[in-house]
Amino acid sequence: MFEVFKKELLELVRDRKTLFFVLALPMLIFPVIMGLVAFLGSQAALKAEQKVHTYYIVNEQNSEQFAERVFYHKSFKKYDGKHQFLSIEDLKQAVQSGAIDVGIYLEADPTQTIEQGEQASWQVVFNDAQSINFIYDRLKSIANELSDSLREQALVALGVDKSKQAAMLQPILVSKVDTADKRENIGEKLGAFIPYLLIPLVLMGASYPAIDLGAGEKERGTLETLLLTPVTRTQLVLGKFLTVLLSSLACATVTVLSMAIWVSVAISFVELDTIKSAFSSVTGVDFMLIFALLVPIAAIFSSLVLAISIYARTFKEAQNYMAPLSMGVFLPIVISLMPNMVLNAKTALIPVTNVALAIKEIVKGTVDYGLLSMIVLTSIGLAALLLAFCVRWFSKETVLFR
Amino acid sequence: MIEVKALQKRFKLTKEHQQKGKSKDVREHDGYFHSVKNVSFSCAQGEVLGLLGPSGAGKTTTLRMLSTALKPDSGQITINGQDIIKKPLIGRRSIGFLSGSTGLYGRLSARENVEYFAKLHGLKGRELKSRCDALFEKLDMTEFLDKRAEHLSTGMKQKTNIARAVVHQPDVVVLDEPTTGLDIMTTQTVINFIRELKSNGTPVIFSTHHLDEVALLCDRICVIDKGVSCFDDSVAQFKAQGKSDELNQAFMNLLQGAAHV
Repeated sequence: MFEVFKKELLELVRDRKTLFFVLALPMLIFPVIMGLVAFLGSQAALKAEQKVHTYYIVNEQNSEQFAERVFYHKSFKKYDGKHQFLSIEDLKQAVQSGAIDVGIYLEADPTQTIEQGEQASWQVVFNDAQSINFIYDRLKSIANELSDSLREQALVALGVDKSKQAAMLQPILVSKVDTADKRENIGEKLGAFIPYLLIPLVLMGASYPAIDLGAGEKERGTLETLLLTPVTRTQLVLGKFLTVLLSSLACATVTVLSMAIWVSVAISFVELDTIKSAFSSVTGVDFMLIFALLVPIAAIFSSLVLAISIYARTFKEAQNYMAPLSMGVFLPIVISLMPNMVLNAKTALIPVTNVALAIKEIVKGTVDYGLLSMIVLTSIGLAALLLAFCVRWFSKETVLFR
Repeated sequence: MIEVKALQKRFKLTKEHQQKGKSKDVREHDGYFHSVKNVSFSCAQGEVLGLLGPSGAGKTTTLRMLSTALKPDSGQITINGQDIIKKPLIGRRSIGFLSGSTGLYGRLSARENVEYFAKLHGLKGRELKSRCDALFEKLDMTEFLDKRAEHLSTGMKQKTNIARAVVHQPDVVVLDEPTTGLDIMTTQTVINFIRELKSNGTPVIFSTHHLDEVALLCDRICVIDKGVSCFDDSVAQFKAQGKSDELNQAFMNLLQGAAHV
């Protein structure tokens, strides 16, 4: 068995293509992609924010104050074209044609409507689908300032003193005291994301070498000779299984390490204090726990892909089976993302989902060690079952000589 | 000494196949394809047995049963008195197997390929080293030992395959169409290898479609047709029974004779 393992490993190390997918891809490509997305995203947002937007106000006379404030705002520029827009329809067309970025329709004068006990309703016309929704926020905050001062004046006129206004406007002030600490809060979000990245990678790290070890052996015509050696089928399968397992764990480890390194690099450039403090409370023990959970799941995947690969006649057939499998592995992870899913005695029995949930709990720092050992035990049980199935298939003539 | 008696092997037919190809082949019935129905032959020390028969007659299945890759449904295979169907591990130790389609591990060097199989056969340390070195010397492989198998020529590959097949010093060597698709030089390597085995007293069983090789090497001939061994005797008897001195003609006559009976 050990000889089989040693030889398969040697072959694996010499295979550049597989090595690339298992080690180099998670090490380099992922941070590059993440960095690129972050860079382009921030650039686009920055550009949109720095851009000066053209505006047009219909019925400016209804609020000179508002018009003036918008005029002096550094992000807005008054439309200097020849056209006159009169209705909301006009503004819509102007926004669509690109003549203006935003149109404001002042339907009434608030200083007058407030005296009649009515609200003045204004409309802001802009394209919300573009990443310029902060235009709306800026205009709204200008209008709110006006609104606040109008209310203040009106209340003073009614004889309500300035100091008592806050209490009158909001007699009850509700504020929340969160028992979840920062770590638990961020862990809930980050902890759901980590298994989403890790578990498919464990599968990827297993499937590339597995294809070579099973179907590849058939395609090259080395299987017959291998079966002729006085090594039992169980030993052969175990040797192959260990190779696949090692590769899948290596893939996961490299990913976690590269992620840790790149996150720390990113943090040193950008101030992300919340994430930093959340990660600082995740101890080395927690990382070991996450890794310990990945081992049984890697064992499940390894025996599964090995079984598929033993069954397949050729490389191509094996690859065809792997594609739906890698889609299928997302399903239990998505289940773990559903809002009412928590780790309990029942969910701890669902393979893959249980590990995804447990990783979340670990990152949150609220893990139950009893459930954790249950997950490990059931996963190992399932992996052993699948492995026994592999050995069975590897001894069946109908599978080997299909 | 290897003896094969009344071997039988059938394969389950797929459902589609059962419906489509009804009664096309006389060997298809009861939902099974009876690939090997009754094959018997024997090969003594220092003898070379040629296994002849049309394509699809059951030669490869028979040889795979010899190599213990397939398990026969009934029948007996004994090597030096040991029943290898009951004890497949003994069978695997005492048989060296090579076929025309056998491959090598492309990313391992020729030496590593041979040594891997030697290790799987339980060889270790100095014994492994001396055994392998002797083989490499004998097969004239020293020049390309450390090249990766994927970069070797067909001839070099076949030499490596031969070394791999006999590295554990088997009692019997089984070759399944070892020269099919090989060039003249490589074929000669295989023929020389069979001669060498013969002079060492190792029984060799090989299936082939090249009757000139049979004429060159074989002491005995076994003809398999439609899963039944219809002839198993010496070359002289083959010519007498086939009523021709030409092996080709004798083979044809034998098959036709068998069909008429």
